[in-house]
Amino acid sequence: MTKRTNADDVLLDCRNIVKSYNGPMVLLGVDFSMKRGEIHALVGENGAGKSTLIKIITGVEPRNSGTIAFDGKEITHDHSKNAAQDLGIAVIYQELSLIHGMTVAQNIFLTKEPKVPGLPLIDIKKMNEKAQALIDKYRFPLKATDYIEKLSIGQRQTVEILKALSGNASLMIMDEPTSSLTATEAALLFEIILKLKADGISVLYISHRMEEVYRLSDRVTVLRDGKKVAVLEKEQIHPAEIIRLMIGRNLSANELGHSMVKKETEPVLEVEGLESEGEFSGITFTLRKGEILGFGGLVGSGRTEVVRAIYGIDRLDGGTIRFLGKPYKPSVKNAIAGGFGFIPEERRLQGIMAPITILGNIGLTNLDTLSRFGFLGGKRELVMAMDGIKLLNIKPAHPDIPVGNLSGGNQQKVVLAKWLIRNLKLLIIDEPTVGIDIGAKDEIYENIERLAREGVSVILVSSDLPELTRLADRIIVLRKGRIVKEFTEGVVTEEMVLRASSGLEEGGAK
Amino acid sequence: MTLTSMRRLILIAVMLVLGAVLTILNPVFLTLGNIMTLFQEASLVGIVAIGFTLVMITAGIDLSIGAVIAVTSMICVNFLSHTPIPAPLFIPVALAFGALVGFVNGTFITRFKLPEFISTLAMKGILAGLALVIAVKDEFGFVQNVYIQDETYLWFGGTVGNVHVVTIAFFLLAFLTQTFMKRTRLGTNIYASGANLTAARLTGINTDKTIVGVYMFSGVCAALASIFISSRMMTAMPELGIGSEMDVIAAVVIGGTPFTGGIGDIWGTVLGAVFLALIKNGILKLNMSPYIQPIVIGGIIIATVIADVWYKDFAEKLVVNAARRKEILEQSRGDVA
Repeated sequence: MTKRTNADDVLLDCRNIVKSYNGPMVLLGVDFSMKRGEIHALVGENGAGKSTLIKIITGVEPRNSGTIAFDGKEITHDHSKNAAQDLGIAVIYQELSLIHGMTVAQNIFLTKEPKVPGLPLIDIKKMNEKAQALIDKYRFPLKATDYIEKLSIGQRQTVEILKALSGNASLMIMDEPTSSLTATEAALLFEIILKLKADGISVLYISHRMEEVYRLSDRVTVLRDGKKVAVLEKEQIHPAEIIRLMIGRNLSANELGHSMVKKETEPVLEVEGLESEGEFSGITFTLRKGEILGFGGLVGSGRTEVVRAIYGIDRLDGGTIRFLGKPYKPSVKNAIAGGFGFIPEERRLQGIMAPITILGNIGLTNLDTLSRFGFLGGKRELVMAMDGIKLLNIKPAHPDIPVGNLSGGNQQKVVLAKWLIRNLKLLIIDEPTVGIDIGAKDEIYENIERLAREGVSVILVSSDLPELTRLADRIIVLRKGRIVKEFTEGVVTEEMVLRASSGLEEGGAK
Repeated sequence: MTLTSMRRLILIAVMLVLGAVLTILNPVFLTLGNIMTLFQEASLVGIVAIGFTLVMITAGIDLSIGAVIAVTSMICVNFLSHTPIPAPLFIPVALAFGALVGFVNGTFITRFKLPEFISTLAMKGILAGLALVIAVKDEFGFVQNVYIQDETYLWFGGTVGNVHVVTIAFFLLAFLTQTFMKRTRLGTNIYASGANLTAARLTGINTDKTIVGVYMFSGVCAALASIFISSRMMTAMPELGIGSEMDVIAAVVIGGTPFTGGIGDIWGTVLGAVFLALIKNGILKLNMSPYIQPIVIGGIIIATVIADVWYKDFAEKLVVNAARRKEILEQSRGDVA
């Protein structure tokens, strides 16, 4: 394959793509084109049609009308996934698609393993060598013989990229690639993307995180309600402008640093010297009424473990907790009785029951208030579910829809609704907006802020720094299971939190 | 050492201890004849278990294997009693029947999206009935147990030197299947389909074909075992093999292939089959009632699964702790620098 170097060369050209799923129109005549070796961001709110467009480009879904040309050749209507791969279009999936129980090399060469000449056997030695050569070319910190399950999320993603490269991809589609990465891993990914670009590979980048889009892209295409709203060239790319185009209105919040607010209300939760062997130690803080306390730190710093232990899911090895001035023994039962709410990190795994309806999901957490003599009263459950739907503006506003059918943002609203219709005193919320579009994010933020105004104390765990600085009245930063920094007053910027999280602050002080 | 090989060593150690205890209690245990019988017993279950291991690696289950054994034996005795066709010609037909059953199972599972459990359970019912329908009958319509006299057919139940033909076949099949699973693309595709079906599909693996193929292999293995079992017993009845699913599942589970798919290997299953035969043989050698065998085997299945869950937790903790220690070490090195 000869690589043409003309930068203006068009690699992918989609024209007038129309798509409807049994009635509702998802794409209404979208034009989209990509140049060879460019990084092109595709942005839009959930439901704008990004994923559908990707599926049509890769051939997972057929289009109703319109043409797609790749590398100058027309792509026919119903090409299979394999055909897209053969053409050189690779997708790095949001839900990572690697096989556990296999090595890095096995994953990279899955279905295209090198064979022993003349035999139907895989040449394992050659496969490992080829994989290692590819890894070394991009200077990834990986071994070809490592097993996937031992790698971090960031490393797994690099394996996905290598897998695409081994198939000679000339277009790589990355769907929300940084949504589960730590800040350091994301930075590494950006380097990789730039290397890919230098090798003449085009990257189609989908992200909800404006700063990434801003930093990386050569061009940005904005979709809204199934239509292309704008294509911005490098010099036209500004986060505020992109957001305005995406949602068609200006956002309420300011995007810069945020002031911490000192609350003088009575203490709700007093935690002292909390310890769990191998996880965290010496965790001491006081949470006041109506205060939003942010927990910052990198993934794996112990944030999640601390809040899980306070809620009574994981075991504690030491320390004391006082709740409303009285000694408190953590257990899930005590937590619910005391008015704690807990919204866990992985929505799909821990927060919702996908096949059950909105009504059922909201009702389940509130069985105690709903049941009379152990039976469920249908009407009260329905009233409660409708309250939750109205309160959080859940769409579609119908209690009988399985939660699994809702968008990510609306799923998260259901999780919130489960707790918000109770009389909460304390809400623990872990990564509330991972993979959620900006509009829904804003609504979730407003709800958290409203709760705090109403006197609920909130512990917010988040890797999303703008989110943390925007919402929190006070931020505690954890690193390796210890509190390394507390921001109580003045303006705090994302950079300050990041420096503390990655240990730069500490090192500088010594 | 990997966790799998450690698990395997534990299993071998337990077998050696059991063997030693049995020898002390009844010296007949450690005689060449008894050991060969033990391996013969292990091989009859093991051949089916090899096919079943592949099914488990795809995160499936095949409950029809016992009934495949029954129908296959009925097909063979029909050929033997009603036709002059020699064994080398009808045995391929019998094996093809196993493949056909697997094809139907696999098609129900992949094309019609039937749960594996339902599809193969229904198939078990159908085949168990079919075995009775096609069984050789006497003039009053009662099922007749046919006495097999065909020498070529009986060769499968015999020995080469001191070793049973079935034992040789079992180890040969195990070796070939293990090589197939670990060294060929198709084998890799089977692991991938079981570990993460969506990921496998996205990579371009035809998971439907892969799964159908695995059920076909499972059917062929059961049909093959049927020939060895009936030739060893020199007779066949329509109930032959029905209920043997439990022994097969026990062998695979003891061998370390989990129900969750994506993991497992044939040598583990071989060990599992030998372990199971050892337990059964021990029960007989200790003059205990053979009726307690299913109770003991059921108990062993549960105990193994519990032990595996515990072992996995324990092993994961070891791995995590080691990683943490390494991280701390590297960090402190970094701090010094």
